[in-house]
Amino acid sequence: MPDQAQILPGTLDLLILKAVSLGPLHGYGVLLRIGQISGGALLIEQGALYPALFRLVKQGLLKASWGTSENNRRAKFYELTFAGRKRLRQEAEGWNRLASAIGAALAARPEEI
Amino acid sequence: MKFFSSLRSLAAVLLRRRSVERDMDDELRSHLRCRADDLERSGMPRAEAERQARIEFGGYEGYKEQCRQTVGAHFFETVLQDARFALRVLRKSPAFTTVAVLTLALGIGANTAIFSLIDTVMLRFLPVQNPQELTEVLWSSLTRPGERPAASFTNALWEQLRDRQDIFSGVFGWRSTKFDLAQGGPVQNANGLFTTGGYFSTLGVRPAAGRLFTPADDQRGCPSLAVLSYGFWQEHFGGAQSAIGSTLSLDHHPFQVIGVSSPGFYGMEVGDKFDIAIPVCASAVLDGKQSRLDNRSWWWLRIGGRRKPGITPDQVNARLKVLSPAVWSSAVPQDWEPAWQVSFRNRLLLSIPAGTGISELRQQFSRPLMILMAVVGLVLLIASANLASLMLARAASRSKEIAVRKALGASRSRLIRQLLTESLLLSCLGALLGMFFAHWGAVLLVRYISTAQNQVFLDLSQDHRVLAFTAAVTVLTALLFGVLPALRSTRVSLTAAMKGNEAETPRSQSRFRSGNWIVASQVALSLVLVVVAGLFLRSMAKLVTLDLGFDRSNVLVVTANVKTANIGPAQRLAVYDDMEQRLRALPGVVSVGRSSRIPITSNEWSQLVEVDTPNSPKGEDAIVFFTFISPGYLGALRMTLLGGRNFQDSDTAGSGKVAIVNESFAHKFFPNMDPVGKYFRRNEGRAGVPPTTIQIVGLVRDSNYESVRESHLPQTFFPISQIPEDDDSEFFELRTGSRPAALAPLVQDAVAQVNKGISLEFESLSQQVNDSLVQERLLATLSTFFGALALFLAMIGLYGAISYAVTQRRREFGIRIALGAEPGSILSLVMRDVAIILLTGALAGIAISLATVHLVQKLLYKLGADDPATLGAALLVLTFVALLAGYLPARRAMRVDAMVALRYE
Repeated sequence: MPDQAQILPGTLDLLILKAVSLGPLHGYGVLLRIGQISGGALLIEQGALYPALFRLVKQGLLKASWGTSENNRRAKFYELTFAGRKRLRQEAEGWNRLASAIGAALAARPEEI
Repeated sequence: MKFFSSLRSLAAVLLRRRSVERDMDDELRSHLRCRADDLERSGMPRAEAERQARIEFGGYEGYKEQCRQTVGAHFFETVLQDARFALRVLRKSPAFTTVAVLTLALGIGANTAIFSLIDTVMLRFLPVQNPQELTEVLWSSLTRPGERPAASFTNALWEQLRDRQDIFSGVFGWRSTKFDLAQGGPVQNANGLFTTGGYFSTLGVRPAAGRLFTPADDQRGCPSLAVLSYGFWQEHFGGAQSAIGSTLSLDHHPFQVIGVSSPGFYGMEVGDKFDIAIPVCASAVLDGKQSRLDNRSWWWLRIGGRRKPGITPDQVNARLKVLSPAVWSSAVPQDWEPAWQVSFRNRLLLSIPAGTGISELRQQFSRPLMILMAVVGLVLLIASANLASLMLARAASRSKEIAVRKALGASRSRLIRQLLTESLLLSCLGALLGMFFAHWGAVLLVRYISTAQNQVFLDLSQDHRVLAFTAAVTVLTALLFGVLPALRSTRVSLTAAMKGNEAETPRSQSRFRSGNWIVASQVALSLVLVVVAGLFLRSMAKLVTLDLGFDRSNVLVVTANVKTANIGPAQRLAVYDDMEQRLRALPGVVSVGRSSRIPITSNEWSQLVEVDTPNSPKGEDAIVFFTFISPGYLGALRMTLLGGRNFQDSDTAGSGKVAIVNESFAHKFFPNMDPVGKYFRRNEGRAGVPPTTIQIVGLVRDSNYESVRESHLPQTFFPISQIPEDDDSEFFELRTGSRPAALAPLVQDAVAQVNKGISLEFESLSQQVNDSLVQERLLATLSTFFGALALFLAMIGLYGAISYAVTQRRREFGIRIALGAEPGSILSLVMRDVAIILLTGALAGIAISLATVHLVQKLLYKLGADDPATLGAALLVLTFVALLAGYLPARRAMRVDAMVALRYE
């Protein structure tokens, strides 16, 4: 198993939104997609996904409907709402800003001060 | 409205709950299956794959719970869960539950009972159409500022107001009275009501059968018609239709029943109900020659009106003020002397809201009821404190359970909620039982304040206001006794609790101390109640033992009414004399007096007098109260003649006018003089009638006239032979050797021999006096009852706290005894705790008492509310019972067997 990092608090919602933005997914699919797009580097306890999904639905960022999965199982599929798409954009920008700021800070060398 | 919307969302959640739950389950299970599919595909056996999927998923139920919380189905579901659990817990300790529920039922019940009385007597609107529009018309003479406006009018004034007013959509007059249903002999009184034609229609009362009066029924010379109340119809006619058209005998005159008023309508007066109503015009039949319809000095009608829509109470008052001169000028009693006529014309009409009805009871009992409300409130507080102590003790024994639940992951807030649910459930059970208690209690109270002369009737159905009150009290009580124990018991240290030696942790010491605070506050509050009870008891004792100036014991008062017996005014005196002779001859009768009124009744006869001494009182200040009496009266009532002579048979209608006066009269009109032999003039107040000159022939000791509480009034007594001839009824006072009531049948027979048509009423004089003290007695009885209850509850609290402490310290005492401590020193160790609680509580109680007792001052008779003797006595009682309550468990501490206590470990 590759080295896995605990995800930062608050970032789970962002990851879910990102995963779903690439196409409607059921819960397990979201998990797989996050693993896939993060290169398997992020560790999420599987059950923790569901309270987050419920929360996002309640906030109107996702919408859910029942359908059939690729291996013929009944499953609930999530997709982004308009509000969800907007939120994803904002959060992603915020994250990128933060990441580059932290990156810059960590890259600082003594002679630059 | 917010309440309803949240109720709706609750319903929606509850209804949707199942589908939400299934949805959630399906989704999570689908996840597990997908994962297991994947694992299986990578070569794992199916069973292993499913297991692995579950492991990877994590705490299945925990996540589901989180999802539930997100959706919002959570709150109400856990409330139900808590309630079910609480019920189970309570069922497991039936003794605790019974004690708690009973205590609460008493406390909440008492509060509900008193509040329901306050509600019925003071707050509730009359059960008629738009009661808030109703108004009562009063008048004021404006001569004395601060004087209370008067409520009774003459028929002439009523007619003037009815014809001139333009502010009321309807106006009506009425008068409560008593009708005798019997044909002679002992009276059978029914509550009567004179009404004007607009009474029922203005109030919006509908007939339950037949028809009600209309203005057409209320014309001079009207036929004798009657309307029954629904209750009377049911009682006397069994609700039969045949009642309509039947005939009733009222005061020996036939009246035809034309209808029945709707159920739930009892009249304008709260505390009273009418049985039979007759039109005002029909009073002519009852009155005979001296009709109250024409007499302009007969003040009897009360007047009410319904404000026209859009007219404010202020506008009504303004308009009444404008109408006043015309109304009063047109109704002047022509026989009054001129100066009085002038002041009559200047009287003013005014109005007050009457939507909640009119009530003597309200004036008499609003303050006592408020005080009782405070008293029962304190009792409930003390009861809550007891429960809080109980819950604390229980919390100690439940600490293991709490610790286990905490260890399993229950949050503290969840546990507190659970414990509060238990408290609320207890409180609700108590309230349910309390509602029954309250109903019985209120019925009992109403019976208690009813007297032979004044039967109190109140509609005690518990309306929404009472229910809301009880609900609020219930929740408040639950919080009061539930919060502290819930907070404390959820603050357990897990390891200590699990190890089972919770009693050893230092925290138990602080729990004990908080128990002490609760008990001390109970002691303080109960002291306040004992002081209040003591004050009312002492005040009552003073009133009961007061020397009224006459001897009330063993006197039967017979009221004889000859009006209905077809005895002409000319023969009345002879008939009364005959009756007196026969009564005197009855076995067991020691002496017989006769009079125009009896003391300690509100029946007031007063007139203005003049004397020729310098600086003598003049005008309103020269008012005296009088009674016509027979020569036997002073003897029968054992009143003391201080000088001069008693009346004699030689004082007749034709002889010179004479009077006996009391000390207050002598003091006021003839200071430092012997009044006997002096003269005064009685102002008859009639135009053209000169004042009567009267000689004083005797002086009697002061006696009470109208009430037990009054300071002595100037009184005069006149010979009953010189009474004005329009005198329908007289009172006979029979001093007896035995129980007065036993004489009634003999009196009945004796009077029947004179004339069968004379109607009679019996009451003992002592009963009469007692009945006048009903308010004081109510306060004394109830405050004593609740004071004792409070004391009892507080002492149970004290007993419990000390017992608990003793149990907790058993090992310590065992060690002390093993090391050679004397039992006495153990006893004093425990009693020191008792003393500290008692001292703290008593000091706080004294402070609270002194700060609040002035509230009851107005209800006390010649007793300061801060009376030190009462406070001292209360303290003594409190100390005694507290020491007793503390000593019982302390004795147990003394007898701890060192070996047993130590082996316990």
